[in-house]
Amino acid sequence: MSHSMNGDVLTDLGRILVDGSLTDPNVKQQTAGPVAEILPEANVIKIGGQSMIDRGRSAVFPIMDEIVQNLEHHQMILGTGAGTRARHAYSVALDLGLPTGVMGVLGTFVSMQNARMLHYLLAKHGIPFIEPIQFPQLPLYLVERKAVIFFGMPPYTFWQQNPDIGRIPPHRTDTGSYLVSEVFGARSMIYVKDEDGLYTADPKKDKNAKFIPKITVDELEEMDLQDVVVERAVLRLMKNAQNRRSIRIINGLKPGNLTRALAGEDVGTLITAD
Amino acid sequence: MSEDNPSGGDGRHHMDSLLMRESLLDKDLVAQSGENIDVVRMLPDARVVKVGGRSIIDQGRKALFPVADALGEALAERQLIIGTGGGARSRHVFSIGLDLALPTGVLAQLAIADALGNAHILGTLLAPHGVVAIPPEIFGHLLPFFVRGAPGVIFNGDPPYQIWEHPPPVGRIPPHRTDAGSYLTAECFGCKTFTLIKDVDGLYTSDPRTNSGAELIKEISVGEIQKRGIESLPFDEVLLELLPKARLVDRFQIVNGLKPELIIPALDGEHVGTIVHA
Repeated sequence: MSHSMNGDVLTDLGRILVDGSLTDPNVKQQTAGPVAEILPEANVIKIGGQSMIDRGRSAVFPIMDEIVQNLEHHQMILGTGAGTRARHAYSVALDLGLPTGVMGVLGTFVSMQNARMLHYLLAKHGIPFIEPIQFPQLPLYLVERKAVIFFGMPPYTFWQQNPDIGRIPPHRTDTGSYLVSEVFGARSMIYVKDEDGLYTADPKKDKNAKFIPKITVDELEEMDLQDVVVERAVLRLMKNAQNRRSIRIINGLKPGNLTRALAGEDVGTLITAD
Repeated sequence: MSEDNPSGGDGRHHMDSLLMRESLLDKDLVAQSGENIDVVRMLPDARVVKVGGRSIIDQGRKALFPVADALGEALAERQLIIGTGGGARSRHVFSIGLDLALPTGVLAQLAIADALGNAHILGTLLAPHGVVAIPPEIFGHLLPFFVRGAPGVIFNGDPPYQIWEHPPPVGRIPPHRTDAGSYLTAECFGCKTFTLIKDVDGLYTSDPRTNSGAELIKEISVGEIQKRGIESLPFDEVLLELLPKARLVDRFQIVNGLKPELIIPALDGEHVGTIVHA
């Protein structure tokens, strides 16, 4: 006896999905449509690992102060990058021939360390660090305390996909933070790094690199830059996004930039899907 | 490792390593990152097999008992990592979640429960063989331990993407479902074979349920599937993106679980269904 679901308890869409093929383009088209903004007031902010946290107090204390100053006005979901120790772990893992999924686990540990450190700096304001399993409590913390901290790595662990080339996990903390902003329909996705935004080349190495204040994903892909300021996976995902179709990159070493970005001012680089 | 390199001259603290002071987004750096190093196989003797939800488990005893018997027999001499699909209940929860305007990531999170339920159903049938469903929270980290201590393990085939699932190009169905999660398990752990147990003989030129002229394809590459524009796939479409990036497992076989005598040959890598390769 087959245990398919009885037609009369199913909606039209239910019947299509229960009976149809999920690879059928017509079935897929039936699943499009408007999507809820689950946390429309929340701003997702990613604090860079190598670019901010690894600099220590000179970079971290001012940005923590600026976050605290904005608690009164904005809800903030704070993701952390991994940075130098992840690079170290990746280089050891590469040398040993470890799979990409294992490197994803190692990167997660480093971004978790960074999340814990920021958490202790913000603890006196009642701001919690939440792991993926605690995300159901996130809305409460946002309303009560206005901010939470999470580790930026998506929790793919051993299920991290291989990159097109090489073995470094392609979905790291930029991607994990971005996907939180997309699934929750957040108000903004702000990357706090140590450059003013996107340049035509790595400004740390090329004095002639030109600043790009605003660009679309398509334009950026056409430029085929040697180096970009956010993970390329974010740019690919933005094209399919239902909610979060722009991201902003700001220089967290310049006081006031985060406040301006939260206020919706045009600071840093804005990358848009459209 | 040589000594730490605290300043690096650019205000950032670095540690001396291959990737020191480098942008991980630089194309040249990515190209050098271990492309030519052999990847470690953690579980080279284990075979990953995914038992279809709608195609096998939802069919009840008629389809599932013979499949469970074949897996039980296989377990006597083989390490099996068995993933399960969510089947009709996942399709149903998708339809309700979509109607409630919930995003892809939420649908992915919800579907895990259905596949986990099916893992426990299959785990009950395979319990006499010492094989049970392992909770997803500990499955990955303890997998090598489990497959040494027991003949095999069962898990919900879903990858743990949950709200971090990728939005698809069209519609809102999560693209990384249980076929993809089972595949990624095989790839990361460097397993011997990856087999999909479904209720068809393999991949056809079109949907055999609606087109009597559909022809079975015995072996095909991802590129050929894309070139021929075959739309009705008896597996997660995202496998077509994942296989070309394989380092350890660059193929899988679809086998008909309604012909249970084919299951053990398929697990051993014999060509009894459709082989899809990178």
